[in-house]
Amino acid sequence: MSKNSSHITPPKWSTRLLRLFLRGQYLEEIQGDLEEVYHDLLGKYSKSKARRIYHLEVLKLIRPSLIRKFSGSEKLNNFGMFKHILLISIRSFQRHKTTFLINLLGLSTGLAATLLILLWVQDERSVDTFHEKNDHLYWVMSNFSINNDVNTWNYTSGKLAEALLNNFPEVKDAVRVGNDFFRPRGTIAFDENYFEANGLFASPNFFEVMTYEMLIGDPEKVIADKGSVTISDEYAQSIFGSIENALGKTISWDNRIFSKEFIVSGVFKAPPKNASIRFNIVLNYENLVEADEWADHWNGGYAQTYLLLKQDTDIDAFNAKIADYLTINTDSDRFQLFVQQYSKNYLYGKYESGIQTGGRIDNVRLFTYIAIFILAIACINFMNLSTAQASKKLKEVGVKKAIGANRTALIFQFLSESILLSIIALVVAVGLVMLVLPQFNHISGKELTLISWKEYILPALSLVLLTGFVAGSYPAFYLSRFKPVTVLKGKFSNLRGEEWIRKGLVIVQFSLSVIFIIGVIVINKQIDFTQKKSLGYDREAIITFREAGSDYSNPQPFFNELMKIPGVLSTANMSGDFLAADDNNSGFSWIEGTEDDDNHLFDSPKVGFNFIETLGLEIVEGRSFSRDFNDGVSSIILNEAAVEYMELENPIGTKIGWGDDREMEVIGVVKDFQYGSLHKKIEPLIIQFRERGKQYFVKLRPGSEQETIAQVEKVFQDVFPGQIFSPSLLADDYKSLYDSENKVADLSNYMAAIAIIVSCLGLFGLAAFTAERKTKEIGIRKTLGASQLIIFQLLTNVFTKTVAIAILISVPIGYYIANSWLQNFAYSIELSWWIFAIAAISAMLLAWFTVGIQTIKAARQNPVDSLRAE
Amino acid sequence: MKKTKLGEFEELVLLTVIVLKEDAYGVEIKRELEERLKETLSVGSIQSALKRMEEKGFLKSEFGEATAVRGGKRKRIYTATPLAVQTLEEIKEVRTQLWASIA
Repeated sequence: MSKNSSHITPPKWSTRLLRLFLRGQYLEEIQGDLEEVYHDLLGKYSKSKARRIYHLEVLKLIRPSLIRKFSGSEKLNNFGMFKHILLISIRSFQRHKTTFLINLLGLSTGLAATLLILLWVQDERSVDTFHEKNDHLYWVMSNFSINNDVNTWNYTSGKLAEALLNNFPEVKDAVRVGNDFFRPRGTIAFDENYFEANGLFASPNFFEVMTYEMLIGDPEKVIADKGSVTISDEYAQSIFGSIENALGKTISWDNRIFSKEFIVSGVFKAPPKNASIRFNIVLNYENLVEADEWADHWNGGYAQTYLLLKQDTDIDAFNAKIADYLTINTDSDRFQLFVQQYSKNYLYGKYESGIQTGGRIDNVRLFTYIAIFILAIACINFMNLSTAQASKKLKEVGVKKAIGANRTALIFQFLSESILLSIIALVVAVGLVMLVLPQFNHISGKELTLISWKEYILPALSLVLLTGFVAGSYPAFYLSRFKPVTVLKGKFSNLRGEEWIRKGLVIVQFSLSVIFIIGVIVINKQIDFTQKKSLGYDREAIITFREAGSDYSNPQPFFNELMKIPGVLSTANMSGDFLAADDNNSGFSWIEGTEDDDNHLFDSPKVGFNFIETLGLEIVEGRSFSRDFNDGVSSIILNEAAVEYMELENPIGTKIGWGDDREMEVIGVVKDFQYGSLHKKIEPLIIQFRERGKQYFVKLRPGSEQETIAQVEKVFQDVFPGQIFSPSLLADDYKSLYDSENKVADLSNYMAAIAIIVSCLGLFGLAAFTAERKTKEIGIRKTLGASQLIIFQLLTNVFTKTVAIAILISVPIGYYIANSWLQNFAYSIELSWWIFAIAAISAMLLAWFTVGIQTIKAARQNPVDSLRAE
Repeated sequence: MKKTKLGEFEELVLLTVIVLKEDAYGVEIKRELEERLKETLSVGSIQSALKRMEEKGFLKSEFGEATAVRGGKRKRIYTATPLAVQTLEEIKEVRTQLWASIA
C-alpha cells in the first residue's frame, strides 16, 4: 500500500455519474465505500485494472433501490409538462373536431394500407427462406442459346448433381429432383380409396439438404431405396387417419410415368405456406430413371439441381468455373451453367436473353412504393392542416414564449401532439387491418394473419413514430419560430410563403392521385383486353381434364362413350398442356438436303384427332388430322407464321425432317392463333400429331352444362376406374394465366381508392379552413353585391389551379409508368389520350366536389352573421 | 412464515452484520462475505440488500467515523433489529426441523 494513499482519488467521470443517479441520502456513505474499495483495489492490481473495476462497480450500483426516485421536484416538472401537453392536445382535438377527424381518418387509412402492404411484402420476401441452409443453398440454372437468343432454364441434366459434387471442391452437397415436367401426380390407392398425389422425385439426400422436417423416419434413409416413399403429415392424415398409422403401409400409385407399389417409410411435415414447391409425397429419383433412361443422361434435362456450397465460396468465380461444364460433357455447346441462390429464385425468376430482369420482385417494389406514397399523402394532410391552423395556435405560442417556454419545449409539444395522433391512428389502423384482412387475403391469395404480429410490433411502432415525426416536424419547427412580440400584436408576416408550401403539398398529393387513377384505368383496360381479345380459338363451353394414370391405350372407346351423351358436341385430346404453351422443339429442317436448319425453337403442341375442330381453329389451306387419311406422327400442321418463317410457297406436301431419322409432311395450315397467354407473341408453330394424349377436351352443348359434366364424369369413372376427375373450364384456365396481373389489378384498385380518398380528405380540410378564414371577406363582398357564384369561384379558383398543375405534372409520369408496365405484354391496349383525359377530369371533379361542399356553405352564409362578430 | 420475506442473500448479509457488530459497514461486510463465500461481490449488491432490509425494518443504521481512505466520508454502521434476530431464528428453526426429518 502506498504512503500517500489518502490522496488517490477515483476516476472523475464515474464519480460524477454516481452523483447523478444515486439517491442523495445514500451518496456520502456509498461514495465513501467506493473510495475505500478503490483504495483496496489499487493495493491489489494495476491502476488501469483498478479503474476498470471501479467503473464496473459504479455501473452495478444502478439498481432500483439505490437510484434516485422519479419523484421530488424533478418529477413534478416533467410530469406536469407531459400532463399539460396531453391536455392541450386533447383540447385541440376537441376544439377542431373536423381537422382531428380528417387527420385521424387519413392517417389511419394510410397506416392500415401501409401495414397490409408491409405484411404482404414481408410474406413475399420470406418465401423459401425457411431452409436452414438457405444462405448456402443454390440452384443450378442453364442458359440455352439458340438463334441469337438465350433461354434460361431452371432444369439441367440428371447427371449434373453428382458430377458437380465430385469435381468441384466448393460443392458440399448436391441434390437432384425431377423438374416440373416430371412430377409424378396421378392417384394413390389404399384400401380401395383413391387420393390425388402430388409427388416429387428426389435424390436420397433430399431431406438432409433441404429443410422439410421429418416427423417419422430417418431423413438419411427414408427414400434410400426405390421401393419406399415418404409422405406429408397432411397426406398421411387423409389416407391413414393418423401419421403413426402410415409407417410401413403399402400403397399403389398409378400415374403417367409408372404404376407401382411402395412402402411408406417416413412422414415429413408438409411444406410451409411460404414454400414455392409444394408436394405431398417424395420418392427416389431412380424411379424416374427406371421409367425413362434420359433422366440420367447428360443430354437430358429432367432434373433440377440444387447445391450446398461451402461457406466462403466466391459465387462469381464458381459460376465462371462451371459455365461450360455441360459443353465438356455433352455434344452441345449451347449451354452455359450458373447458380442462383435457391430462395432468390422466387422473387427474381425472370430472365431475358440470359440476364436476370426481375420477376415477382417488381410487384413487391411496386407495392412498397404505393405504400410509401399513400403514407406520404396522409402525412401531407396532417402537415397542411396543422400549418393552416398555425394562425390559431400563434397566440398559444406567443403566450407560452412570453411566460418563458423555450423553442425546444414548443417543438417537443407539437411533435408529441402529432405522435399522439399517430398512435391513436395506429390503434384505429390495426383495427382496420383486422377487419379487412380476410378480404385482403382473398384478393392477394395469401394467408396472412395477425398472429405473427409480434415480429411486426417494432417496425409498426417505429413507422408510427416516423409518421408522427415527419407529419409533425414542419408545424413544430415552423410554429415554434415565431417571435412572441409580433405574434401577440397580431402580425403574421410570412403567411404567403406558407400558403405556397401548402399548395405545393396539395400538388404532390393530387399528382400521386392522378397517377393512381391512370394506373388503375390502364391495368383494368389491359385485363379486360386479355379476356376479350379474340385468340383464334374457342374457349367457351369447353371443359378440359386430365387422366393421370399410366395407361396409354387407345382413347377411342372413351370418345365413343362420351359422344353418346346428348350434351356433348365434340371431344378431343392432346398430350401436354395447351394453355401453358410450354411444349417446344428444335431440330427441324425444311430445305431438302440440309438438316437442323438454323435450329429455330418452334412452339409445338402435340394434339389428337378432332382437336382443331373442337377448339375451332381455322384451317386456311390443306386439311386437318383425319382418320380417313390414316394420319400418324409424320403428319404435321403449320400456322401461318411458320409458313412465313420457313418461306414456303406451297406449304402443303412440304417434307420436314426432324432429328436424325424422322421425316414429316405438312398436311395443312391453320390461321395464326394465340398459343398461351398474351404475354407471348404469336410465333411459328408446328402442330404435331399424337393419338393418345391424356389431356381431354369436351365441348358442351350450351344450356345443360351441369348435367352433361355429371354424365361425363360417370363415363370417365367407368372407363378409368380409380382416376380422379377434376374438370375445369378452358375459359377459367385461360383467365388464371393472368392471375398475377389480376391480383395486381385488384390490389391497386383498392390502394388507388384509398390514396384518392385520403387526398380528398385533405383538400376538404383545407377548403374548410380557407372558407373559415375568409368568412369576413365573403361577408364584405356580399354586402357590396357579389353573387353566390362569384363567391363560389373565388373560393374554388385557388384549388382549380393547384389541381390543374398537379394534372400537368402527373400525366407524363403516368404515361411513362403505364407504358413500361404494358411492355410486359406482347399484345396490349393503345395508350389513347382519353385515358389521361378521364383521369384528369375525374381528379378535377373530385376536387371540385370536395371543395364545393365547403364553399357552397360559405357562399350561402348571411353576411350579417359573419360581420356581426367584430 | 412471516409476511416480511428475507431473501437468501439478504439473510447472509444480515448474519454478517450481526457477526461484525460495530464494524458492520458496507465495505467491511463485503470483505467478510467475500472471504466466507469465496467469490467477488459488488458494492451495489451489498448496498441494495442493506437498503432493502433497512426499509423492511430488519436493520437500523447511523453514521460512524470518517477515515482518510474514504476521502473524508463517514461510514454508516448497521445494526440488526430485534425483528431481524427473531426472523433469523425462525428460519433456522424451520431448516433444522427439515434436516431432522430428512435424517
